[in-house]
Amino acid sequence: MLISYNWLQELENNGLSPAELAEKLTSAGLTVEGIDERTDDFIFDIDLTSNRPDCLSHLGVSREVRAAAASDLIVEPHPQEFRESANSSLVKIEAADLCHRFTSRIIKNVKIGPSPDWLKNRLESLGERSINNVADITNYVMLELGQPMHAFDLSKLAQNRIVVRRAKTGETIKTLDEVERKLDDSMLAICDAEKPVAVAGIMGGFDSSISEATTDVLLEVAYFDRASIRATSRTLNLATEASYRFERGVDIENLKRASDRATGLIIELAGGDAAEFVDVYPRRFEAKLIRSNDLSSSVKRLTGLDVSDKEIERILTALGIESRSDEGERVYIAPSWRHDIEIEEDLVEEVARIVGYDKIEDRIPPATSSGSYQPWELRKKSLRQTLANHGFDEAISYSFIDTKHDEVFDLIPGLVDDSITDKFISLRDSIIEGSTRMRPTLLPGLVDAVRVNFNQQNRDLKLFEIGKVFAASRSETGLPTERELLAIAMTGSEMLAEKAFAVRPLDFYDLKGAVEIALDAINIGPLEFQAADCKHLEKGKSASVALDGRVVGYLGFLNSEIAARYKFKQPVMVAELDLQTLLEASETQVFYQPLPKFPAIVRDVSLLINRKVSFFDIKTAIRSKNFELLKKIEYVDVYEGKGVADDERSLTVRLIYRSSERTLLEEEVETVHQKVLTHLGETCNARLRF
Amino acid sequence: MIEQIAKLEKIREAFNQEFERFLDFDANRTFFSLTDAELLKKELSDFRIKKTGKKSEIAGLNRFIGQVEQEHRAEFGKMIQSLSSDVLHAIDSVEKKLDEFILNSKIERERLDVTLPGRRPRVGHLHPITLLRQKIEDIFVSLGYAIEDDREIETDYYNFDALNIPEGHPARESQDTFYTTDGFALRSQTSTVQIRAMERRGAPLRIIAPGRVFRRDTPDMTHTPMFHQIEGLCVDKGITMAHLKGTVHEWLRRLFGKDTEIRLRPSYFPFTEPSAEFDFSCFKCGGTGIFENDRCRPCKGSGWIELGGSGMVHPNVLRACNVDPTVYSGFAFGFGLERMCSLMYSLDDIRLMFENDVRFLDQFR
Repeated sequence: MLISYNWLQELENNGLSPAELAEKLTSAGLTVEGIDERTDDFIFDIDLTSNRPDCLSHLGVSREVRAAAASDLIVEPHPQEFRESANSSLVKIEAADLCHRFTSRIIKNVKIGPSPDWLKNRLESLGERSINNVADITNYVMLELGQPMHAFDLSKLAQNRIVVRRAKTGETIKTLDEVERKLDDSMLAICDAEKPVAVAGIMGGFDSSISEATTDVLLEVAYFDRASIRATSRTLNLATEASYRFERGVDIENLKRASDRATGLIIELAGGDAAEFVDVYPRRFEAKLIRSNDLSSSVKRLTGLDVSDKEIERILTALGIESRSDEGERVYIAPSWRHDIEIEEDLVEEVARIVGYDKIEDRIPPATSSGSYQPWELRKKSLRQTLANHGFDEAISYSFIDTKHDEVFDLIPGLVDDSITDKFISLRDSIIEGSTRMRPTLLPGLVDAVRVNFNQQNRDLKLFEIGKVFAASRSETGLPTERELLAIAMTGSEMLAEKAFAVRPLDFYDLKGAVEIALDAINIGPLEFQAADCKHLEKGKSASVALDGRVVGYLGFLNSEIAARYKFKQPVMVAELDLQTLLEASETQVFYQPLPKFPAIVRDVSLLINRKVSFFDIKTAIRSKNFELLKKIEYVDVYEGKGVADDERSLTVRLIYRSSERTLLEEEVETVHQKVLTHLGETCNARLRF
Repeated sequence: MIEQIAKLEKIREAFNQEFERFLDFDANRTFFSLTDAELLKKELSDFRIKKTGKKSEIAGLNRFIGQVEQEHRAEFGKMIQSLSSDVLHAIDSVEKKLDEFILNSKIERERLDVTLPGRRPRVGHLHPITLLRQKIEDIFVSLGYAIEDDREIETDYYNFDALNIPEGHPARESQDTFYTTDGFALRSQTSTVQIRAMERRGAPLRIIAPGRVFRRDTPDMTHTPMFHQIEGLCVDKGITMAHLKGTVHEWLRRLFGKDTEIRLRPSYFPFTEPSAEFDFSCFKCGGTGIFENDRCRPCKGSGWIELGGSGMVHPNVLRACNVDPTVYSGFAFGFGLERMCSLMYSLDDIRLMFENDVRFLDQFR
């Protein structure tokens, strides 16, 4: 809202400099965002909150100044009063729910012409274009008193009368901006005997507007239902100075005064005589009454400020909030221009903001309890930090994704309830094109991020994201399932800091390692990895992860179809894990194991095995037998290629033998070792390579 | 004795002559390689034996002492000693220089370039939103607050009604809020957590709710349809705006330094009454509005940075959570993390926050 310093001084001569005034207003909640210094005036740009339409005028702002500057030098404009006439057949309100009051003044024999310079200049300095004297006066009075109004050419109104009614669906009107607009029955229209002549509270009609030929003017000053104006303004996508004020609420008790003020100015500047005035007021204003037995102590209770009864009285009176005593209580009367004052707390705010929030003390509430993180925050913090330390950047992607990702990814087990037809959550519409799906997986976001980085020539990437995914649920409230997941994406090579050349290409075991360090960081394990086919992963290069037999995620190479769709020219690996389920699982408990007293004897063996036989199979085979003295099996190496058949690989493992009672002899170990090898030959068809 | 002295002088002369080439080294050492020096050192060592060993000419002079007159013998002896010591000294001196040269050359040959990068894995970086959230959470936990989060998809009741945002309020319009096809709202502020936490815990309580929120803003430099908020709530007996002011001041001081000032400005939010916006003195210019003789960027020259909204919890909100507003009062405040990040790092396009470009992510620590 633009406010003229000079105009304020005319209304309320308080002798404050522009800078002092700006400070007072800002402190009272009318934030002055800027002061434009003109040749003969200062224009304040005031940022108003939506609850203060009463300050959308110079009168309203001057009230604030009066309260804030503790001045009583108010020079309110006292407009000439014009006679009312009883003839009410001129105006008929058919929709009293949407039009609470309507006044109409007829001014005859005016001469339309340009406005005098003072009026033009004032309007222009406040961002309004000068049109003609009558139109300018309606704008001027709106800026002065906050009441929007509209002037019709009386001769253009069929039967010279006004009907305020809902528009009929299919009716159209050409508005002042010369746009043909379709109305419907949700909208309030100002009509003549036949047709709409204005969209109520928003914009007048083109055909009935003031022109140079106009001699008789009908001046409409009215109050419309706020929600109705807002809805119509949105539907028509048409916002005006008038609609802005009406949808926030104008002063219904101020219509006559605004009308008289405009009438006076019209007669003064355009000539003419004031004729009939009709005031139809079907919904009388009822002031809200607020009871308070001790406002001063309520101010203290909520703000800590000590404000005397006398000062409270002064502030509220300056703001137009009168009070009276009633059975030992004070009853405060909310003024007709303050739609926002309803309860005692509102009065407390009035007092506090005028006294100044800067007067409020700085205190820390006394400690009553100890602080705490969310149950898993510290473990998640450790998880994030661990991944970052291992080279992973943390991504955050939008929660809504494109529906094209549906059915492309295998989702975390148990997330989706397949018995529900619409198992995913959709938005009614999107802001980012196509993104109407609340993501059931984090992977599309990460794969998009890989694409973004490839586009920037970054080809060695390690990314992770922790975030919620969504799915429909049959819960009591119907609210969707929300579950927190962890996703990882990797591609390219292992890199050293500040070194351009790669150490080595990343492979599946880097991805698996990342999953393992992540879960190690939250103290969960051991995990079981099993070869598993997965919709979005390459066959033979993918695995499932399970904890205590329950599958909690998948990892592997992104399949070639998805890779082709993203035009990836290098393999990309992804993993997704049900972090929530993992965090809910019990943490690994540590118990001390006595240190071994006797040395171990170690045997490394290279086993030729079929590629279908896994390290897991070898371990399981050995464990199943519970060989005496054999304490541990460790992985050493795998060899594939020359000297090994295509369908085989050579797996080297280390077998560790130890007794807790004595130092072992080579011979006794050899006996057991041979049994182990024989057993592996029988169960896994494993042969010694050397 | 003259004869013997002549002999001695001859020997000295011969030495000086032969020694010259070693002195040459000292003068021309820049032309010497390590190999040259090592070779020279070997020659010097041979030379020393030749000139000072038992079979050397100098040693031979001792044989002539007997030929010198009795009274001059001591003198001649001294002269031999003197020659011998001069020779040794000369050789030692060059040898020392050679050793030094050889040592230095060896050091140079193996000299490391200590400015090459240390060998370490490339580390990753946490998202700036995470970093800032963790910092703020740490501050509030130390102030006795519990961190809370809750659902991101909510009912209208939690997103609006319980927060005293009535039907017909502009904030409820679907042009601001995302709705699912089932009619649920993507929470448009983390205040929903206030309600759920109050329902769960009752009063008194102190919580901080960081989380993801959604508004139907078309992405541009300063807007994204998803962003993060942190909201604080303190409900107890006797809580006033002074506590709000003190608490906001305290955490901003801990984040931006002890000289940070704050101010509250009257404002309007449906869920607080009285309401206030809170600003803090610019961390860059220290509240002067001028940085390096120019208009300060983060505060646009005003010295103040607008950060968020706050106020005393509206009695209707307390009532909705079964907290008696005549017994308890509370304050609440909230602000956007993306905005705070963009201020702190002079970031001019917040869309980068969700593009996950590693060139962006790698800048934060």
